[in-house]
Amino acid sequence: MKQIKPTTRRSIAFYLMIAPWLLVFLSFSLFPLVYGFYLSFTNYFGFNLEDLSLVGLKNYQNVFSDKDAMGALGRTFLFAVINVPLGTVIALSLALLLNHNIRGRGVFRTIFYIPSIMPAIVTTMMWKNILFTGNGGILDRIIGVFGLGPVNWLGYDYALFSLILMSSWGAGGGILIYLAGLKGVPDELYESAAIDGASYMQRLFRITLPLLTPVIFFNVLMGIIGTLQQYLQPILLAGDQLLARPIKPIYLYVVHAFQQIFANQRFAYGMALLWVLFIITLLLTLVVFKTSRLWVFYEDGGD
Amino acid sequence: MKKRILAVLLGLSMIVLAACGTKPTLGGQTTAAEKTTAAEKPDDAGETAEETTAAPAGEDQVVIRTTFMEGELSRELLDKFEEENPGIKVVQEAVDDTKMASLLATQDAPDVMRCIGVYDIPTYVTRRIALDLDEYMNNSEVIDVDDLLPICHVYRYDGTTVGKGPWYGLPKDWSNDFALFYNKTCFDNANIELPSDTEPMTWNEVVELAKKLVIKEGDTTVQYGLGMVENPTMPSFYYLNQYLLSAGENLSSDDNKSMDFTKPVVEDFLTLWNDAVKSNIGPNPVNNDQTGGSDLFIGDKCAMIVTGYWYSGMIRGNEEASKKTASFGMLPTPMVEGGTRVAPTGSATGGFIYSQTKHPEEAWKFFEWYFGGEPVDDRARSGWGLPSFRSKMELLPQNDDFDKQVYRVTLDELNYGDAFIPINPYLGTAGRPMFEKWVDPFIFDRATLEETMQGMTDDANQTISEMVSVLEG
Repeated sequence: MKQIKPTTRRSIAFYLMIAPWLLVFLSFSLFPLVYGFYLSFTNYFGFNLEDLSLVGLKNYQNVFSDKDAMGALGRTFLFAVINVPLGTVIALSLALLLNHNIRGRGVFRTIFYIPSIMPAIVTTMMWKNILFTGNGGILDRIIGVFGLGPVNWLGYDYALFSLILMSSWGAGGGILIYLAGLKGVPDELYESAAIDGASYMQRLFRITLPLLTPVIFFNVLMGIIGTLQQYLQPILLAGDQLLARPIKPIYLYVVHAFQQIFANQRFAYGMALLWVLFIITLLLTLVVFKTSRLWVFYEDGGD
Repeated sequence: MKKRILAVLLGLSMIVLAACGTKPTLGGQTTAAEKTTAAEKPDDAGETAEETTAAPAGEDQVVIRTTFMEGELSRELLDKFEEENPGIKVVQEAVDDTKMASLLATQDAPDVMRCIGVYDIPTYVTRRIALDLDEYMNNSEVIDVDDLLPICHVYRYDGTTVGKGPWYGLPKDWSNDFALFYNKTCFDNANIELPSDTEPMTWNEVVELAKKLVIKEGDTTVQYGLGMVENPTMPSFYYLNQYLLSAGENLSSDDNKSMDFTKPVVEDFLTLWNDAVKSNIGPNPVNNDQTGGSDLFIGDKCAMIVTGYWYSGMIRGNEEASKKTASFGMLPTPMVEGGTRVAPTGSATGGFIYSQTKHPEEAWKFFEWYFGGEPVDDRARSGWGLPSFRSKMELLPQNDDFDKQVYRVTLDELNYGDAFIPINPYLGTAGRPMFEKWVDPFIFDRATLEETMQGMTDDANQTISEMVSVLEG
């Protein structure tokens, strides 16, 4: 019997070990991705699978001539430009506060983390029916104390602001990762800084933040991807059905794709919309990666 | 060697993929349902989709999959059916609009499907999704076609006209969905007399009356005049369609290949309901009151609500409302000024058989039983909707004065229930979101009436032309 070479044996072991993941990845990620890409070049309308015809780049051309799609894309960028930095600052600030050795720290950590583990439908319904509502809503009452309002939180002027407010409320999701990062900052650095007489702000900007940049980088990247793909919250703010159409200021790009596919049965066009978003996300990620060399600090020198 | 291993893995993955695409077949255990939120349509209230798990089918049993869930088809009833038909096993699958689209897209849809007859039948027939049931219907010993109420013909379609051509399904029950219910306490609060329950008001009269019924305390509205059950009080695609029917107008061309929303009748409709929004007669996006119309109505904070007979079941079934049924009653479906009286159904929830079903005979057996057998009597007695058969009308609840008033108005409404809402089969489910896209900026004064009507026309025609080009190759 032929002896199996050690390298081959290692390869077999490797592939056997990753087989469960690989099978799931091939079946439920790669295959749908490639199949969706193929469909984006057809005239698929949800009922003509056996009678498809290729339409070339027509669906992709339509994406760029579709005013709703381009408007939604611009709006999504605006949302991301505000939401990602805001979410980062909030989560990081909370993590810094919660990193102090104070009584009841665990309780506060739980409280700030709860919004991020609550289902989107629960949080959105709560915001919509209790805080944003125009008939005795909590936000109107709060600003009423200052003699302001009432305001239509879900109308044309404030809907985007409300969406950002609601998203910021859930920003605590990043806290845990920041806290883990903060635990990784060696105490010796703070001790030597204290001996040198460094103030809190100096320690924060010279030690904590530089050493936390890899974690910030990870959260920013995930934040960008998540924000560009945002669709459930605007839909739920609009109504209680998945096909409810949000008003223009919160009509984001993936909402448009969702509408095209499930309301209009424009499956092929929807695939094209999503592939365009995929490429945009990929490019943005690459840009963020490139800039990371300028601001992300790796203890091993980035190797 | 590495390549060989990779090839084996790829091969395995293909097997997994193939297995994913396999339809449930004989003898296989089929997990029935995924929990989803039921699609909310006008007559859905009170019915929730529940998770159901089916027992494994026997060797010689045919599995029939249906989307009618526990709220509309109890397991006990199904057990009875299966006892009487030992060769058939019925599995319930919860499906919402998005899942339905996916199942149809992958040609894996259940055999007997729930649908909103008014909107879905023309669309599904045009897309060849619904099975022609003409032969089954005409030869059935369970379903007497002559006993069916005219409204049931909404499940017939000849390619251009609803109510003509072959049968494609039947309603499980239906309602005169554009009628009104009143809350007498609210009328008393506003010192206004109840309108006639024999003569319909015009929609303009309804809005004017609603304005008078609004009560404010300072800046806060404590009582509204008019609500919708699940939607804000604002222009809606559903209500436009009834308005068109009463006005005798159709926005589609004869061949349905184009639509024109710039007609004066649309202008009248939009102007009227924009006035309703601005006059604050009910919760709407501009006043941003998120309270549901039904909650307001039952809580004596809204004087009238646009809804059909099924809502009487809601009143009987609601703990708070059932204690004060004497406060409530039904008013006839309003009409357009100068138009004709019509009391159509706005949904007619029912079912059809999937054209690709592998078991048409067994699917029909189940269909015939559900739409013509014992479940029909149960549904009629429950008072949650009107029966399909004239002979079953007397089974509707007639116990107290409320039941009797609603029954009397309903019988009168039946005389005007033979007209069908004009549907463009190529526009399909795209109609409502398209309408909302343009109505939202209009009621927020971000678009003019002309822009709104032209925008609707352009969008509708784009959708229609795409669909026509796919269907006609």
